[in-house]
Amino acid sequence: MSIRAPRKGENYELSVDLNSEYRDKRKDAIKRVIASMTVGKDVSGLFPDVLKNMQTDDLEQKKLVYLYLMNYAKTQPELVILAVNTFVKDSEDPNPLVRALAIRTMGCLRAEKIIDYLCDPLQRALRDDNPYVRKTAALCVAKLYDLKPELVIENGFLDQLRDMISDSNPMVVANTVAALTDIHISATSNQPSDSTSDPAVFSITSAILNKLLIALNECSEWGRVAILNALARYDAQDDKESEHICERVVPQFQHVNGSVVLAAMKVIMIHIRNVRRDDLVKQLIRKMAPPLVTLLSSPPEVQWVALRNINLLLQKRSDLLANEMRVFFCKYNDPLYVKIEKLDIMVRLASDSNVDALLSELKEYSSEVDVDFVRKSIKAIGQTAISIESAAERCVNVLLELINTRVSYVVQEAVVVMKDIFRKYPSTYEGVIPTLCANLEELDEPEAKTSLIWIIGEYADKIDNADELLGIFVDSFTEESYQVQLQTLTAVVKLFLKKPDSSQGVVQRVLNTATKDCDSPDVRDRAYIYWRLLSTDPGAAKAVVLAHRPPISIPRTTVSPALLEELLGEISSLASVYHKPAQTFVGHGRVGADSVQRKGLEISDAQKALQTVVAGQQAENLLDFGDDSTQDGQPSGLAATQILPSTPAAANFLSGTSANPLDDLVSIFGGMETMETSAGSLSTALSPTMTSLSSPFEGFGGPPALPSQPRQNAQPEEDLLGLF
Amino acid sequence: MAIDGLIILDPAGRPIIQSSYTTYPAAYPLLHIEALNNALAKAPREGSVDPVIYVGELSCSSACCHVEVGGMRFVATISGDADPLIAFAFLDAFTEILQDYFGVVSVATLKDNFDIVYQLLEETLDSSGHPLTTSPNALSDIVLSPSLISKLLASVSPATPGVPSARQGGSFGSNGASGAFTSPIPWRKAGVRHNHNEILFDVVEEMRGIVGKNGTTLVSNVFGKIESNAKLSGTPDLTLTFTNPNVLTECAFHPCVRLQKWIRDNALSFVPPEGRFILADYQYKPPQSALVSNVPIPLSLKANMDMGEFGGTFALTLTSRLIKVMENLELKFYLGEDATSAQCTLSSAGSSVGSVGSADGSWSFNSRTKTLRWEILNMRSSGSWILRGSWTSKIKAPRPAHAFQISFEIPSYSFSSLKVDQLRLSSETYKMYKGVRMRSKGSIEWRW
Repeated sequence: MSIRAPRKGENYELSVDLNSEYRDKRKDAIKRVIASMTVGKDVSGLFPDVLKNMQTDDLEQKKLVYLYLMNYAKTQPELVILAVNTFVKDSEDPNPLVRALAIRTMGCLRAEKIIDYLCDPLQRALRDDNPYVRKTAALCVAKLYDLKPELVIENGFLDQLRDMISDSNPMVVANTVAALTDIHISATSNQPSDSTSDPAVFSITSAILNKLLIALNECSEWGRVAILNALARYDAQDDKESEHICERVVPQFQHVNGSVVLAAMKVIMIHIRNVRRDDLVKQLIRKMAPPLVTLLSSPPEVQWVALRNINLLLQKRSDLLANEMRVFFCKYNDPLYVKIEKLDIMVRLASDSNVDALLSELKEYSSEVDVDFVRKSIKAIGQTAISIESAAERCVNVLLELINTRVSYVVQEAVVVMKDIFRKYPSTYEGVIPTLCANLEELDEPEAKTSLIWIIGEYADKIDNADELLGIFVDSFTEESYQVQLQTLTAVVKLFLKKPDSSQGVVQRVLNTATKDCDSPDVRDRAYIYWRLLSTDPGAAKAVVLAHRPPISIPRTTVSPALLEELLGEISSLASVYHKPAQTFVGHGRVGADSVQRKGLEISDAQKALQTVVAGQQAENLLDFGDDSTQDGQPSGLAATQILPSTPAAANFLSGTSANPLDDLVSIFGGMETMETSAGSLSTALSPTMTSLSSPFEGFGGPPALPSQPRQNAQPEEDLLGLF
Repeated sequence: MAIDGLIILDPAGRPIIQSSYTTYPAAYPLLHIEALNNALAKAPREGSVDPVIYVGELSCSSACCHVEVGGMRFVATISGDADPLIAFAFLDAFTEILQDYFGVVSVATLKDNFDIVYQLLEETLDSSGHPLTTSPNALSDIVLSPSLISKLLASVSPATPGVPSARQGGSFGSNGASGAFTSPIPWRKAGVRHNHNEILFDVVEEMRGIVGKNGTTLVSNVFGKIESNAKLSGTPDLTLTFTNPNVLTECAFHPCVRLQKWIRDNALSFVPPEGRFILADYQYKPPQSALVSNVPIPLSLKANMDMGEFGGTFALTLTSRLIKVMENLELKFYLGEDATSAQCTLSSAGSSVGSVGSADGSWSFNSRTKTLRWEILNMRSSGSWILRGSWTSKIKAPRPAHAFQISFEIPSYSFSSLKVDQLRLSSETYKMYKGVRMRSKGSIEWRW
């Protein structure tokens, strides 16, 4: 027994009132107890007094007492025993509400001692005449399983649940499905430790399938979601059955509740894989667009979830919303998180036919007040230029207009983007260079500086005063950040190789400063390499530093194809919102690391999958687009970056399955290899060390690349490429 | 799919009410509250916090989904790979239930009625994370509304036996209270009786649009809703037909609507729930549906902006393009973070009615939100309204928003000109009162 409260104070008064002879006074006292409980005061001392009020005809009072019990049952399990008799009695009450309430509360108490008394009433409740009691009881079985699975199995509750799938009341069916799914999940996740239970607690057969499809149209929105989630797990026997499921599920798109719509979409995306009839596939895809658009008229929170899912769907079915780009135009008042998603989707939907509208929007956004959003918009212009060649010139013109605004962060971002455009379309837009160079003074961010320096170095032979411009950076060499130093070094060497006569002095100066006054080993090492190269074999230096680079391209997906397939099966879940497989952030229970491995093997040969992942990651790093939500660590406010800071999904996939240290090397050497062979093929990346060794520059090329490894995830680096 | 619980935070970030979290450690809700409050404090401005915040401190990592309701934060915590949309849908449903019960959802009403909120929470969200009953029809039978009127009615009206007897302290009726759950139609109570039968439809259409710098409409979409309020006895089977059903596209329906009938005959056939509900959502697309299908925007704005150093001047002219009167027109203009003050004069021109009074419009500058607000309560069809003024800013090159936010309402009007043809009642014999009202509103972004 707990210690009695002293004979004064609030609790004492409450205790007196709880024992009052007047019904109203007692009820009022209970309310006050609950109120104190809510604000965190300890009223556990009143347990016996509250318990006395449990036997009452007033349903409201009973509920409040139950509420109190639920709250303190965990800390005072021995006292709860006192309530058992009332619970059992209530479970036989003529009023179904009281019966259901008793069952539900007993399930919530989670006290070991009370569980043994739960089985008989639960047995009765599962067979109750009243559907409200039955559906409450169904969920209670899942709770009991959570506490003591053996009790559920001994009492045959599982079989009873399976029978209840055929219940006449759709709500009972829905709750039964939800309960069975819960049990199934906890059973399969505990499988190794708990071998007594049959892991496949809830395997869906064709007979069950039909019952589910019938109940689907008749139950509440929550019931529909539960049933749809169960349908998503079903393995269709043949394409006929898949078609049947799709056809029956499609009407759910017309439900007002967005979560039903997304759950239905998940089912379709899973079962559409087996649909062979092209016309049906087309029809299904066409029907998916309108409900997605409708979701965009919801509050911003729902919009955001919808947009994240749309983003994923588009990666698989790019034709999904082909004519709907305008729906995604950002409004000034949209929250930032919505705007950023919309922007990403707009770029994804860009095509020859709508690129003008897109560009004028992006230009508009670039004049907004919000710095983060402005930067993203300018990046989007660059992405458009790179993905739609015919529009590249228009993009460049927009960028020039933006540079002329002379707003510092606009200019800097535009310079960074211009560098990427130069990479994609070498020697095409050289006319822009004077404008860029005119803004040299404005730049104060390292990334913008390195971009401009790279451009100057790359086109040194076309810029008359390149030595002067680079001289500015050489003068302030020791004050610059390391990435700027590295880039300056490379650009000056490029300049020297292109115009050896006029730049002898500046190259000497930069090599001197870099090797003597610089405290970064990276910079020093690179300077030494250049120095040796230049002094021993200028021809080799030329071959390395001025080597032809493969043009860059934009990956149309932010995740690897294998992962995309997996995520599409998880539409309408956290995984699809974060664009990461569930196990990377759920971890607990569910699916462990070994099953990831299994999945990898199932999808394709594990090595092959890895290679795709590595290649994708590598391509993105080389790309140097900081806008990729799964890649960068920018304070964009994306949830994706909050989960696993600086750990992209690809890397996770890698660490989850990789048994081969060579793979890690691949990601480091992949970039060099493309440089040397200039084949641009990353698919042969598995033998990079060999290729590298055969190259005469291996000794020079290796070391400077290594330090980039730890930073690889944080911020895409320019230095790998910049070196050459 | 699991919503672990719901927490309601007051404007200061302290919990007012939370579900019991029996299966979780005591720190569990606290961690979520902390994570949310931290994120909100760190946010540079409102609306920049992700709606789903990941909480990874515990072994079982989880996330909290939050929305703002009446200054409070409603937080649903989800664990595992749950659907955040379920959480938001549930929060939405729960807020609506609270509105149904208390009228206004505020800190005060929730604190005054915490016992009812708790009961509602228990009924709507199971501790295993499944939303239960959120249909107002079913809930009103198990949790009584606080309003005195409903208590009085409940004790006299024979419509809901069982519950009132419980209130009076007598023994529970075994049939009435469970009416909602034995009813063959899940969304409708069984055995409802009204002396006066009526059903009202409110067609509410909202236009959302963006107008570009040069005055061309970039996007304009009209989303419509048919809100209904039914007070009908028995099991009424209704068929609603329209003279021009083709204006309704991309419809989503309340579960009571028979989809097959709609697809076949373009008629809405349904047995309605009692009380308020949304019968259908739709989008209106003009028939000349080319690649770009914009609904014309019912007003026009001419903006002469002149940016100077430490401020600027502007002259805005609004003209209605409608014959109907527009009401509560409001134009908002964000003047930039460093704006300090604004001065304006109002005038109107060419108005047929003549008199230009202060009643025609008003303006104000909110120095906290840095927003200029211009209001016109009644905007008649002809004439134009002019706002001239200037603002000052602390910085040399002020950066105001490059867009005006315009919102308005148009009573007795619909963009789609949807017309109800007929409402037929079968399966019941009584006469019922029927009513249809149209209402439109708009929120337009006008760039300059």
